[in-house]
This record gives sequence, C-alpha cells and structure tokens, in this order.
Amino acid sequence: MITNRRTFIKVLAGAAAATGARLDVAPALAHAAPVRIGVLAAKAGVTAPVGESGLRGTQFAVDRINAAGGIAGRKVELVVEEESNPKDTVERFRKLALQTKAEVITGGISTAVGLAVGPVSEELKALWLAWDATTQKGVEETIPKPRYAFRSVDNEAEAVMASILAARQFKGKIKTVAGINNDYSYGRDNWAAFLAIMKKFGMNVTPVVDLWPKLGETNFTSHVAALQQAKPDLVFSSFWSGDAPILMKQAHAAGLTQGTKFVLTTAGGVHESMKKAFTPEGAIMGYNSLYFEAPNASPLLREFSKWHQERFKEWPNYESDHAYFTIVAYKAAVEKASKAAGGKWPTTEQTVEALEGIEVESLSGRRGYRSDHIMEASYYQGVTTHKNRHDFVTIDPVEVMSTKQIQKPSGTGLYDWINSWSV
Amino acid sequence: MSLRLAVAAALGALALFPLAGRDYYATLMLPFFGYGIALLGLNLLFGTTGLLSFGHALFVALGAYTAAFLTSKLGVLDLEVILMAAAVAGAVIALPTGLLCVRYVRIYFGMLTLAFGMLFYSFLLKFYAVTGGDEGMRVLRPRLLGLAWASFGKVEFLTGPFYYYSLAVLVLGAVVMWRIVRSPFGLGLRAIRENAGKAEFTGVDVRRYRLSAFVVAAVFGAVGGALLPIPTGLADPLLAYWTHSGNLVFMLLLGGFGNFFGPVLGAFVFIVLQDQVMSITQYWRFVFGAILAVVVVFFPQGLTGLLDRRQRAGT
Amino acid sequence: MLGGVFHAAVLFLVAAGLQLVFGVQKILNLACGSFYALGAYAGVSAVSWALAAGAPPPIFPLVLVGAGLGLALVGPVIERLLRTIYDRDESFQLLLTFALVLMFEDVIRFVWGTAPHQLSSAYLVYGQLRVGGLVIPVYNLVVIAAGGAIAALMGFLLARTRFGRIVRATAENRGMAEAMGVDVSRVYVRVFTLGVALGTVGGALVIPATAAVNEMGIDLIVEAFAVVVIGGLGSMRGAVAGALIVGIMRAVAVATYPEVEMLAIYVVVIAVLVLRPAGLFAKAAA
Repeated sequence: MITNRRTFIKVLAGAAAATGARLDVAPALAHAAPVRIGVLAAKAGVTAPVGESGLRGTQFAVDRINAAGGIAGRKVELVVEEESNPKDTVERFRKLALQTKAEVITGGISTAVGLAVGPVSEELKALWLAWDATTQKGVEETIPKPRYAFRSVDNEAEAVMASILAARQFKGKIKTVAGINNDYSYGRDNWAAFLAIMKKFGMNVTPVVDLWPKLGETNFTSHVAALQQAKPDLVFSSFWSGDAPILMKQAHAAGLTQGTKFVLTTAGGVHESMKKAFTPEGAIMGYNSLYFEAPNASPLLREFSKWHQERFKEWPNYESDHAYFTIVAYKAAVEKASKAAGGKWPTTEQTVEALEGIEVESLSGRRGYRSDHIMEASYYQGVTTHKNRHDFVTIDPVEVMSTKQIQKPSGTGLYDWINSWSV
Repeated sequence: MSLRLAVAAALGALALFPLAGRDYYATLMLPFFGYGIALLGLNLLFGTTGLLSFGHALFVALGAYTAAFLTSKLGVLDLEVILMAAAVAGAVIALPTGLLCVRYVRIYFGMLTLAFGMLFYSFLLKFYAVTGGDEGMRVLRPRLLGLAWASFGKVEFLTGPFYYYSLAVLVLGAVVMWRIVRSPFGLGLRAIRENAGKAEFTGVDVRRYRLSAFVVAAVFGAVGGALLPIPTGLADPLLAYWTHSGNLVFMLLLGGFGNFFGPVLGAFVFIVLQDQVMSITQYWRFVFGAILAVVVVFFPQGLTGLLDRRQRAGT
Repeated sequence: MLGGVFHAAVLFLVAAGLQLVFGVQKILNLACGSFYALGAYAGVSAVSWALAAGAPPPIFPLVLVGAGLGLALVGPVIERLLRTIYDRDESFQLLLTFALVLMFEDVIRFVWGTAPHQLSSAYLVYGQLRVGGLVIPVYNLVVIAAGGAIAALMGFLLARTRFGRIVRATAENRGMAEAMGVDVSRVYVRVFTLGVALGTVGGALVIPATAAVNEMGIDLIVEAFAVVVIGGLGSMRGAVAGALIVGIMRAVAVATYPEVEMLAIYVVVIAVLVLRPAGLFAKAAA
C-alpha cells in the first residue's frame, strides 16, 4: 500500500516508465551527477578585466545550457579558480583536475601560464580548453603534439589582419612607421609580423623608432615625445589593456593624432575606454573575435550584448567569445562522442577526438577547433569612426577575416607562410 | 624533550603523507620543501642577524632559473649537480650585492634588497633571448640519484621519488643550518643583532659577518629556488617580483622568526592557508594582509612563539 | 624633457609623502603606492560625479585635490594601526605596511572593480600650448606647477611655521621633544596624514592624463624607492632632486635608448649608492 511519500513516488515513477511519460515530479530520481567544469580566471592585475570578461561569457553559456537541460542530461557546475602567476596557477589546475575532479578545465590568459599549464594538462590527462595563453614557442617546444590541451589562436593573428588592412588602406601614403608595444612576447611577435607583412606588400616603409614600455605602464609622456620627434607616418601598437586609452589620450594631447595614422591591433578589447574625445577617426582598430555591434550580428550575439550591457553596464569584448566557445564546443563534443559511444558519457579521449575538427555556433559566429588543437575564429577589425551614439569610437565598415586566412596553418612557420602569399 | 618528539612526529607525518593517497595534497606540499629551505636562509639573515631582506626572492628566482638553464639549455638533468650549481650561483651573485647591501642596515637594507630583487626581475623580463622573457624558461624533469624513474608518470614521480628527495634535502639543509646557528659564527651574528656596536667592540668584524650571513642565506635561497619550479615545469620572472619576497617574509613571520623551526612551520601554514583561502574568496589578498597585520601586531613571535608561550604556561 | 618633469612632479608628491613619514616617524611606508592608487580611483569617481552633477569642467583640479584630501582621512585610522608597533623593530613596521598594500589592493578591487577607470576629456580642458614644434597640454604645466607649489609649501611649512619646527624637533629627537612638552602622538598623526595626503593628491592630480588600473600602486613603489634612495632618506630636498633625476632619466632613456628603459632606473640607483651611499641630501646616516 502507498503509506509514505517514497513509496508513492516509486509507484508513480514506475507508472511513468511503464507509460513512457515524462514526469518532472521526482527530480531526485531523474537527477544525474552534475558535470563539473573548472575555470581558471584572472582576478587581479592587468589581465583581470580579460578574466572577468571570460567568466561572463562562461556564465552566459552555462546558464543557457542548464536551462536547456544540461550536457547530455547532466547539469553543469562551474568551479572557478584564480589564474595568477604560473606556479600558483599550475597548483590551481592540479586542484581542479585531481581534487575537484573537473571533467574539463577552461581558461588561461597569460602566455607564461599557458606554457606551464600545457604540459601539466598532458601529464594529468586533463582536458584543457584555453581562452588565450598561446605562444608559438610553447606550441613548438613544450607540447608539439598536444593530446589533452586545446589552445587559442596564434599570438600574431591580430597583427596579420591589421597589417593586411593597413596595406590596403595606406598603400602609397606612408613612408615611415613607428611601433609602441608591450615589452613581452605578444608585443614583439605582433611588431615583427607587421614589419614582415609591410615588406611582403611592398609598402617600402622604414621603421623610425620602436618603443617597448612594460605591461602595466601608465605614463607615456616620454614615449609620445619620442614619437613626436621621430615623426612617423604611422604608429603601430598592440596594446590591449588599460594602456591603450592612456596612450591615445596622451598622444592626442600632444597633437600626435593629427596627421599620424594609427594601427591598434587589439585596442578593441578595451573599446569602451577608447573615447571619441581622444581617439581619432581613420585608425585601424582590432576587436579580436568579438565586435559588439557587428552589422550582421547573429541573434545570439545580439542577445548576449544586450544581456551584458544590462547586467554589467558595459559592452562585451572578445574574451567572452573565447570562453563561450570553449563551453559550447565541449558540450557539442561530449554529445557527439556520447552518441558514438551508444549514449554513454564519453571518456576524455573520446571527447578529445570529437573536439578535433568540431564546429559550433559561438558569439562571434561559426568557429571550431583544428585537428592540431588550435582555435579557429573570425576576427573583426575596421576603420574607426565617431559616427555612432556612444561616447567611444566604433568601426565602420567592419572587416571580418577568418583564422583560415590570418592564422598560419599547422606545421608552417609564420614567416615562411607570409612569404608564400601571393599579393 | 618534547621538541624532539614534535620534530620526529612532523617528519614522520611528512614521510607518510604521500601514502595517504591524495595526490593533489602531495603535490601541494612540494613547494613547501623549496620554501622551507629558502626560509631557513632568510631566518639566518633576519632572525639571527637582524637584517630584513625584501629581495630574498632574487635568490629563489636565481635558483629556479639555474635549474631551468641547466635542464633545458644544457641538458644537465642530475638534480645533485643542479642544486650545487644553484648554490654556487647564489653565492656568486650574493657577494657583490651583499657587499653593497650590508653597508646599510634596517630600513635601507630592506629597500636596497627590494631594489636588487626588482633589478633581477627586470633583467629576466628584458633579456628574453637568454631568459625567455615573460614566457619563462622550461624546467625539465631531473634525474634523482642518477635515475630517471622513467616508468613513473609525472605525478607519480612528483609524489614519490621527488617528494622524498626534496624532504631529504630539507632535512639536510636544516641540519646544516642548525650547525651554523649553533656555531661561534652564529653566536657572533646574534651578538650583532642585539647590539652591533658592542659586538664590534668585542672584536667581531660586523660587516664581514653580515656579508657571510647574506651569502649563506642566498645559497639556501637558491637551493630552495632550484627545487621550486620542478613541479611547475617552468621558471618565470614573477618569481623575482618584490611581492614574492614579501610573501617569503610573511611566511617567516607567520612561523616565528627567532625560532629555528619557525620558517618551516611558516611555509607549511602559508601554503595550506593559501590553498584553502584562494578557493573560498577572490579577495584572499585582503585576508592574507589582515592575517599578516594581526601577526605583526599581536603575535610577532609567530606560531612557534605561540606554542612556546603555551608550553611555558603549561609547565 | 617636459614629459620627464611631469612624471617627476607626480613622483615627487608620492616620494615627499614617503620622506616626511620616514623623517619623522622612521617608518618606511610601503603602502605609499596604495594611497596613490586610492587617490587616482577616487579622483575619477569624484570628477565624474561632479561633472554629472553639472559642475563646470574647469574646476576639476579642485575636485581632484578635494578628493585626495578627503581620502587622506584614512590617514589617522592607519596611523592608529601603525601606532601599535612604533616601539618595535623597524622591520615590523615595514611588514605592517606590506600587509596594508595587500589589503588595499583588494579594497580597490572591491570598490572599483578590475576595469581601468579614466576621465576622458578633463586632460584637455585647459587646452594646449604650442612651443617650438611641440604641443603640450596645459594641464601638464598645471601639475608641474602644483608639484612645485606643494614642494615650496612643504619647505615653508617645515622651515618657517611653528608646526614645522615641532615636526623637525620631533624628527631630530623624539625624547627631547616630549620632554619639552610636545604631544608627540598628535604630531605623528598629523605628519602621517600629511604624508598620506601627498600620496592621494598626487594620484588624483595625475589621473586626467592617465587611467587608474589594477596594481598601479604596487608598480609605483619601486620608482618611489628609487627616488628616495637617490635623494637620500628623510630629506624633502632629496625628494625633489631624486624625482627630477628619475623622471628625466627615464625620458632620456626612452628617447635615446629605449631598450634599457626599464633598467635605467636601477642603474642610477646603484650608481648613486656606489658613489654617494647616503644619497644626495641625506640626513639619516647609514
């Protein structure tokens, strides 16, 4: 007889099973263990805004996935650890893999962290989907054939696209160039790529000065003065954090923005700080893989932008897209591998196989992972304009290039690849 | 008597720890050995000689990069060689820096050591052709006692042979430091800390003693630093940043800087605390700052001081 | 060159705060950078509110100074905390200020978040000057003038006023000053607050030209230390000289040999230490 709740539910569930009906009345029975996704997010320092952006993209993805029933029926549970210096971040990664037993770990922004975490992911056989943190030296030396680590787009992709646009835009109009980049691998790689592409396109430009302020510098008055003295026709900068608007502000105050052309490969990452008050029109600016007002933006991007603006009073930037992509790519891979495994939850190796070559719909459009575990994405860059309803610059027209065009194919060196172009 | 018992118990616990089967916590303990050794040196400088260095991370980073350079650039994988090379590197760099720094005391000394630490950090960042810059330099898995332990996966290696090797190095370092502290040299250092003028009067060459303490501390720092990056697989410039030096001093103070076992206890508690607090709140720096403030104001003798007081109160 | 002087003006303000507190209380305040950062963030908030409330743009420097001074109210609170360890070894004081650095970092993150904060148009409210081939924002000159004015004011305060005499007496010999009836604890509170104010006002004044970013205080410490080492600990004149040397040195390095920009500062520090260990204007002996 049905004397208590437990028996009642059992009977009900049995009846439901018998009739094939779906009952939401006994969540305890239908509930399977949640799938833990670990996230390494930077919380302090110059990468903190990027980490925050990534977390927001992650949260958006997870909310939607859970609302739709989870991944293959399992709800997603996020466990966030902080990305700081390589030593501590490796410990956090190990914690997520060994202690928290996360089934996949996403995140990672700084190059050094990427170099440290990559080998650890391989040795622990822990699936790692990085947001950024790619360095070619690391790719070639530390883990040439990664199995469990999936990396982001190459460092120089932004510079490649911006240089191509600059060549198109400024051919015949510039004779001298100057560079001001952060003094670390990302800055150096971008400047070198720019010079190589200028050469390839026969631009005949001479670099007159290159400056290397440290990451986190907030005073560029001396640098601007040096630029003024050198009088370049074009200034190239790969600044991506708070230093981008500071540079423009100080350059503008010194009169440098009149007459000098600017190429800002990644300033779109802090686009809301690039105010019209000091950022000129006619500059080439890159937004990495997410432009918040893309003219043919997908409904997904529009929904995300709106949600982001309402919730945080800010417009989103590219890290949200990288983070979102890792989550939905994982989901798609798991579901694909699960089907192939006859409905069971796939092993890490099976998920890895499914991830290779996968394509999903992300905030920036359709993108995926190459078989060599490097991300494919669409990049958004363009010429700055003041004709908008914001107090910061936007780009118009918006150029879109896929990493299939601006990222070197696997196994090729960057300069060999550039030399092989037909222009 | 009970001290010996406590030490034996701690050693026993440490030795048995990896066997408890929790891999993550075993790997978490690994920096403890490196830091313990580095802090033994810092304690000699601060606890015994009275010189507070805010640049000790320089030598820790130096040791780390020595390990990186030897393993990944020169193919030298024997950890014994690496540790000795780190010790030599520490001494070599400590001599000129020490000569400059020990001319000053107290605040000046702290400032100067901070400046030198940051100089090394800038050097590591700037000369990327040699040091790898912001990307750091890889540290390959070393051979222990001539054996590569190739059949062990990295985690097994770390929680097994490497764990016990590091423990042995720490014990060895502690024994050496014990001898140093108890030697006439150590007595001289303590005299200098109490009253430098008086010590000079009794024939102690203050400057030479301080320099020697500085060099010994640097050697310990570098040896500890050489062990530190092996679980990470990478030596990066942030190891030399001044806040890392600050953390080292924090650990020392937490454990109790006058006491011989203070550094080791401080390293242990700091690592455990950091692991727990970091997972709980993103404002862990605030928590740590508050803990440091509380220790400085209320428990300047650190945890060993607390234990001492308890013991004395109990007898 | 002028850029170097601009940077020097800001450095002077922070270093002056350091020097003052050290000269009187023998505390080396590692948190001086944190006060600078606090001043910067608060400056952005204050001016943004003022402008939103309809204040006319040209008065913004007053708002900035006001924000800096307002924040200096944390001075007495912090001093109270430091007071507990005045009698202890200097190392403890250094450590306590390090604890403050850690705490302030998170306080700033908690209040203002991690994104950069800036003022977009305040910098050019006073327009620009064309000198030779160069364009200089007038605001740079305002900051340099403010730095100079504050330096002069500090000099006057310390040399000519009663308060200044009391401060100097306490710095020379605390015991003697106490015996003469000076309320030393009150002097300490005031001096510390003044030191904090110099830092916060410095941070606020520089913000129109730059932006407030995470960990800006931690980076500034090293430069501030270089300034006091070069100028000599405890000396106000040393703060001026040191700041000018560091600021101009950097400008020169960037213009001539950008490769060593980061290292130039340390080269100068070590050179000064080797040639003139006590700094250029040292009062406190090694």
